[in-house]
Amino acid sequence: MLSIENLRVVYHDVISVLNGISLEVKDGEILVIIGANGAGKTTLLRTVAGMIHFYNGDVIDGDIKMDDVSITGLDSSDIMKRYSLTYVMEDRPIFEYLTVEENLKVASYSRWDNKIKDDMEEVLEYFPALKDTINRRAGYASGGEQQMLAIGMALMTKPKMLLLDEPSLGLAPLITEELFQIIQKLNSKGITIILVEQNAHAALGIGNRGYVVEMGRVVLNGEAKDLLKNEDVREFYLGAGENKRKSYKDAKRYKRRKRWL
Amino acid sequence: MIDFLQAVGDGVFIGLVYALLGLCIVIIFKASETFNFAAGEFLVIGAFVFYVFFFDLGLPIIVALPLGLATAGLVGGLVEWFTIKPLLGRSPLSMTMVTLGLAFLLRSIVQFIWGSESYSFFMELPDITVEAGELLYISDPIWAGLFSVVTFVLVLLFLFRTRWGLAIRAVSEDQAKSMAFGINARFILLIIWAISSVCIAVAGIMISNFGALSVTSVGIGLRSIPVVLIGGMDSIGGALVAGIIVGVCESLAGAYIEPLGMVGFKEVAPYFLMLLVLFIRPYGLFGTVRIERV
Repeated sequence: MLSIENLRVVYHDVISVLNGISLEVKDGEILVIIGANGAGKTTLLRTVAGMIHFYNGDVIDGDIKMDDVSITGLDSSDIMKRYSLTYVMEDRPIFEYLTVEENLKVASYSRWDNKIKDDMEEVLEYFPALKDTINRRAGYASGGEQQMLAIGMALMTKPKMLLLDEPSLGLAPLITEELFQIIQKLNSKGITIILVEQNAHAALGIGNRGYVVEMGRVVLNGEAKDLLKNEDVREFYLGAGENKRKSYKDAKRYKRRKRWL
Repeated sequence: MIDFLQAVGDGVFIGLVYALLGLCIVIIFKASETFNFAAGEFLVIGAFVFYVFFFDLGLPIIVALPLGLATAGLVGGLVEWFTIKPLLGRSPLSMTMVTLGLAFLLRSIVQFIWGSESYSFFMELPDITVEAGELLYISDPIWAGLFSVVTFVLVLLFLFRTRWGLAIRAVSEDQAKSMAFGINARFILLIIWAISSVCIAVAGIMISNFGALSVTSVGIGLRSIPVVLIGGMDSIGGALVAGIIVGVCESLAGAYIEPLGMVGFKEVAPYFLMLLVLFIRPYGLFGTVRIERV
């Protein structure tokens, strides 16, 4: 179980991005985090994955605990080795100049066993589309293939917990759907998934629980299906508020309603 | 014609050493977008370390060479550990500035330990002078070329055939991404610096073997600038081709232009060539054209 307690993170010592965020991830669930741009979702994942120092950020308060052991301040490769936690960065974190096969191989760098061939087969089972492009440079693959490759690379690290940062970014709705089905399948194999998404509807559709993040704080949390019905979430993230026509009066009301209860 | 062939042949052998120098700069540049201005200093350090093992301690070359190179690699790694590693994730420009400072520091350290005098440096490798008709290629440059090619090929094999090489190539492409996939980018960068200083040491030893070694040999490191700029800052193949081009250019200038009364033109000829190439191809012959909006 991953628990984040009152985490505060600043960039360059001045830009405060996470202002005391707390959340909990239970083993084996799909946790969805939604929030507007700049809410601090990506920063949260970077901090959990131990990469915040690389981006000139600092944890100034709070703690991240994995099964009650603090992992704050550990290096990314240590966190991956010890806790099998893999962070898939946003915008398809693949190595464009390496071939698809090399990409998959390099992702298994943190392991030293000899099962890499078998694992690669397994990953290709999940993503058959990658089989045709295996010897091509990854930069030439399509957006969907690249995102699938990114998740495939994450699988090569044998994760128990996957942090997915906007996997649907720039993908067609059909591909997104396929991708989310695969994510669900991975989850059913026992991988805990933290899913950060702008596509709130689709994400909450496959998630168990959800958190709404705003200004570096959790403003709302609950079961995913409850969040889908929640009026505020519907209005701000699903674009489906009450079925009235918008007027300036509503716009004013929107402002008032931004203070979450 | 004989003169020409002679000059070209000599140029190719020395050019292979320059290619190795270029490779050292290129692998560091690819990995961290840092130009290592301290290359000449690493070259002298590598050569001096070998000097200690081979001439001072009198070890046989089969022991002294690996020991010297390993020490040179260690020095490179240590320097990276103290100066470059803390800057990981910062602007590549700041690392480049650090290498400029390093150049002065390392040069002073070398001067402090070994002084400014010249040390004679003859490894007495087996004589493999090639004589064909009127052509005469003397032994030492041939050895230098051979050693450089072997080192070059070994580095390439390491980069393209081993899993560490794969990790190095991944880190070269994107440090953040490789860290996210569990590659220890800091450690990889250290390895890159170590490899680079080993290669520079090979180049340094081979060049010193032409005569003498002194702290002023740092100037040879400057030869890497036309090499990488002609070949392209991020192209390994470019370093090889440009190294040979620079070597041949230098040697031809020495054979045909210097006798006209322009003594020392040999030294600047590669820079003229570099200017010419940069006018036509600003990214070098084989460099990746990067589109940046200013």
